[in-house]
Amino acid sequence: MAASLVRFVRGGLGRSIHVVRNSCLLQQQARLQSSTTENRPTVRPSDAVTHNKLAAFGEYVAEIMPKYIQQVQVTCYNELELMIHPDGVIPVLTFLKDHTNAQFRNMIDLTAVDVPTRQNRFEIVYNFLSLRYNSRIRVKTYTDELTPVDSAVPVHKAANWYEREVWDMFGVFFANHPDLRRILTDYGFEGHPFRKDFPLSGYVEVRYDDEVKRMVAEPVELSQEFRKFDLNTPWEVFPAYREPKEAAPKLEAGDQAPEKK
Amino acid sequence: MNDDNNNNQPKTKLNFRSPLFWSRRPNSESIMLRLPTVGRALAGAAKGSLAPSTTVHTSMRAASNMVEVFVDGKPVEVEPGTTVLQACEKAGIQIPRFCYHERLSVAGNCRMCLVEIEKAPKPVAACAMPVMKGWNILTNSEKTRKAREGVMEFLLANHPLDCPICDQGGECDLQDQSMQFGSDRSRFTEGKRAVEDKNIGPLIKTIMTRCIQCTRCVRFASEIAGVEDLGTTGRGNNLQIGTYVEKMFMSELSGNVIDVCPVGALTSKPYAFTARPWETRKTESIDVLDAVGSNIVVSTRGGEVMRVMPRLNEDVNEEWISDKTRFSYDGLKRQRLTQPMVKDDSGQLTPTTWEDALTRIAGALQSVQGSEVAAIAGGLAEAEALISLKDLLNRLDSENLCTEEVFPMAGAGTDLRSNYLLNSRIAGIEECDLLLLIGTNPRYEAPMFNARVRKSWLHNELRVAMVGHNVDLSYTYDHLGEDTSVLKELANGTHPFCQVLSAAKRPVVVVGSGALQRDDGAAILSVVSTIAQNARTSSGVEEGWKVLNVLHRVASQVAALDLGYKAGVDAIRKNPPKVLFLLGADAGCITRADLPKDSLIIYQGHHGDVGAPMADIILPGAAYTEKNATYVNTEGRSQHTRVAVTPPGAAREDWKIIRAVSELAGVTLPYDSLDEVRSRLAEVSPHLVRYDDVEEANYFKQANELAMAVNQDLIAAPLIPPQLTVKDFYMTDSISRASQTMAKCVKAVTEGAAAVDEPSVC
Amino acid sequence: MASTAAARTAAGAAKVVKPIFSRDLDEAKRRVRELYRAWYREIPHTVSIFQLDITNRQGRDKLREMFNQNKHVTDPRVIDMLVIKSKMELEETIKVWKQKTHVMRYFKETEEPRPTDFLSKFYQGHDP
Repeated sequence: MAASLVRFVRGGLGRSIHVVRNSCLLQQQARLQSSTTENRPTVRPSDAVTHNKLAAFGEYVAEIMPKYIQQVQVTCYNELELMIHPDGVIPVLTFLKDHTNAQFRNMIDLTAVDVPTRQNRFEIVYNFLSLRYNSRIRVKTYTDELTPVDSAVPVHKAANWYEREVWDMFGVFFANHPDLRRILTDYGFEGHPFRKDFPLSGYVEVRYDDEVKRMVAEPVELSQEFRKFDLNTPWEVFPAYREPKEAAPKLEAGDQAPEKK
Repeated sequence: MNDDNNNNQPKTKLNFRSPLFWSRRPNSESIMLRLPTVGRALAGAAKGSLAPSTTVHTSMRAASNMVEVFVDGKPVEVEPGTTVLQACEKAGIQIPRFCYHERLSVAGNCRMCLVEIEKAPKPVAACAMPVMKGWNILTNSEKTRKAREGVMEFLLANHPLDCPICDQGGECDLQDQSMQFGSDRSRFTEGKRAVEDKNIGPLIKTIMTRCIQCTRCVRFASEIAGVEDLGTTGRGNNLQIGTYVEKMFMSELSGNVIDVCPVGALTSKPYAFTARPWETRKTESIDVLDAVGSNIVVSTRGGEVMRVMPRLNEDVNEEWISDKTRFSYDGLKRQRLTQPMVKDDSGQLTPTTWEDALTRIAGALQSVQGSEVAAIAGGLAEAEALISLKDLLNRLDSENLCTEEVFPMAGAGTDLRSNYLLNSRIAGIEECDLLLLIGTNPRYEAPMFNARVRKSWLHNELRVAMVGHNVDLSYTYDHLGEDTSVLKELANGTHPFCQVLSAAKRPVVVVGSGALQRDDGAAILSVVSTIAQNARTSSGVEEGWKVLNVLHRVASQVAALDLGYKAGVDAIRKNPPKVLFLLGADAGCITRADLPKDSLIIYQGHHGDVGAPMADIILPGAAYTEKNATYVNTEGRSQHTRVAVTPPGAAREDWKIIRAVSELAGVTLPYDSLDEVRSRLAEVSPHLVRYDDVEEANYFKQANELAMAVNQDLIAAPLIPPQLTVKDFYMTDSISRASQTMAKCVKAVTEGAAAVDEPSVC
Repeated sequence: MASTAAARTAAGAAKVVKPIFSRDLDEAKRRVRELYRAWYREIPHTVSIFQLDITNRQGRDKLREMFNQNKHVTDPRVIDMLVIKSKMELEETIKVWKQKTHVMRYFKETEEPRPTDFLSKFYQGHDP
């Protein structure tokens, strides 16, 4: 099983031109098919070939590192996502960087997402580009306010400032970071502005004080009403006709990772 | 209404245009009360089901009478005669509609509610079609959607594309539903129809090109408001809504057509181009400009009240409000007191600080005897301020607390709560079969109460009689005369109307508070109470039914009487105080001439109206949109307003001002927060903080017996309520007197709508 | 001893957590003391370099006050996090990345205390 997958991945990622051309044809066919069944111009046609290719590669990675990869999914826009355990940041990133079939050597972005309802409220997102295979991958892991995540700097130098930004904006601590300090906020600033519980107006406002002859920061007092738009119609709305939200991206099988490591 | 008697077969064709029809909505909460009407109006089968005299087997019949229909395959049990639209509503599916309105009769002319019935040859209008057994209604089938799309295309063919400059934008049914159900392409390339705008008064702006001829406004005017001003002229493409000749839409409920209109054809003139609905902030509140306490929503933006709209409350105002409630909000921005003021040596009121004003008051209060301090509460004072003022004066050893509005204190007076409440409640009018109005003009004193009477008169065949001036109400009534002698005759049974009165099954007697302002108020109340007591015994109605009712005109009165204020300023006139505290007293009951030269008058309120100019010290208070305040309406229903905007300038919430005065005067009141004031209110009278709950009052018989003891001599003068015609309606209190819109209304009523016509921008 | 017991019970109650630096409360406390000393020694330099209009005594009182603000914290991870952030500030101060205004922000000179009694609240505004 694994062997066949590897073969497919190798073929798919372009060792043989012949195969590539085939897949292109396939792709076109798939487009034609989808355009016959789905004629709404606003809906993005599904690209089955790319999707399958990414899914197969994801499964391949998951099979190699079952300890760290908990879930693999391909979004509706054909983006491959790996959900990993926070302990696996260094091994997974190293693998993706150095493995012959991956070669994700460029760190495009590193950021975090705050979802306060989750037990591990922060989702750390890494985006990589493989120039070798013209392919992108996204790696996601999770943490909370007090659990440190291993810094990705030993693997990717580009992570340095990104991690400083995440530390500054979300307050996620990265262990073994060479120079973890604030990057965007002012000295003496308190709080992490990208956290969802950080008020939109902030805690302090800054002004020049004539008496002490310098800038002072004081608790914010809004002199103007905070603008908030109410976009529901006060009259009749027809919830029954509202189309159900698009279903969450379908999860491809991947390796059913055990819950705890 | 002519199908009352000849429509006894369950499956005969029903007249859905009959006004009787609409009251039988299956999901109506008061269905038990209305069903006898349904029986009369509709099928014989439904008739027996809830008549009180019939017994068990009818209810079994009723159960088996339910019709089972399917909505998108889902079974629903409905009563026979239910329309397709109502059945779908019961199944939780809303059908798009324009002309259908659940409180108006069914017109069936917009065709938006077309739905497919399985196996039916063509789509049916859901609002007008009664369901048949076993029908499967398809609310989202291909055919249904196509029908809606077609109807929408025709509606939009003549509708201007001026949504960006239309005031209905954002709350427009046509906009919402065309987004939801319309097509995204237009095939219409011809010219659009244009219609001349009509001038129907200073409140309603008409852009008749936008009209889709749903006739909701016409039906509202003729059914709810009871004025036949609006109608349709022409037909086909030339159909127009209007008054035919240019004239003002003369109704105290006219503003509701703005809410009823599904498009931007009828919009609010004062609100035009001022705000968009999505950028305003909505605060649920209570109206205090009459004693009904209509539920309202105050829309604000940037600390300014932009408009007032009704809020649904089936027990009080249903979903309507009067024009005064809706349009007098601009009075909240004019003539406001924004700073504390004191009179200087030259007799000029000069602005000062709170510290200064409060210290002066404290000094004055400490330098006089307790009994030389008195207070008068006006019509807009809330329970929190009333209780703090009472506590303050009681701590200073004074009991001289009065309300401006008079209520007879002789006999049982205000000791028994049943004496001064609208005991039957507003919704209770729908159950009664005979209403006797005494010395009141409910149409202008309490428009929402009057609308309820009209509803009952229209649908439940309520009979109305009146003692008092022959005023124009929105329904017909038996005028028994305007002299007090009629009351005497009614009380001792010599009047011919007594036979009708004694034959009534559920009589209600309503006396206006205007009639009780007279010197013989106590005697009138006593006579009325006797009439009510007699009617009660002769009708043999059950114990819980209340007959005697008092209809108040000002919002503060019931709360003030509940808290133990004395009604009327006689005591103050007899015993002039050295320090007089006016809490929003703007009726001008007491003038400088009634008081000794050296007396100090303190006015606390929000408008520079009648009370403020004669005061020595002015304390700026908050209006009803600016404070959390409890008001008790004429039924005894306690409700509270919420803060929508902050008070202007240095104005403060009223109870806080009194609390601050008490601290400086050395008699600190034991409450610092609103919750503490409310718990103090609960100590005095627990029902005041049980919001939206009506505390029943009783002891009518005892009250009547006590009333016998008072002087029974009636003055011969006729009973004339203070508000006779519509021009008396608009300006009754300090807020509406400051309102320019209300002034325009008065002018339009007296000089015609053209007198206040402004060149329209759009 | 008590602290180790507390740590044990905490570990027993919750799942085992990944420490930031300190394995138990004693270690965390040690870090706090080190930090305090570092700040304490730095204050005279700060006052002279930033030309602050305060005495060393005032600065040290402030330091003590600010440490005391967090004296209720017992979770070693929270303590570590506070220490990390404070070290960051210390570095910014030592290396004079901060300016006078940032340092003086600790003293909150211009802030007026909010009124607490009814009358002063009443005088000050609508709803303080």
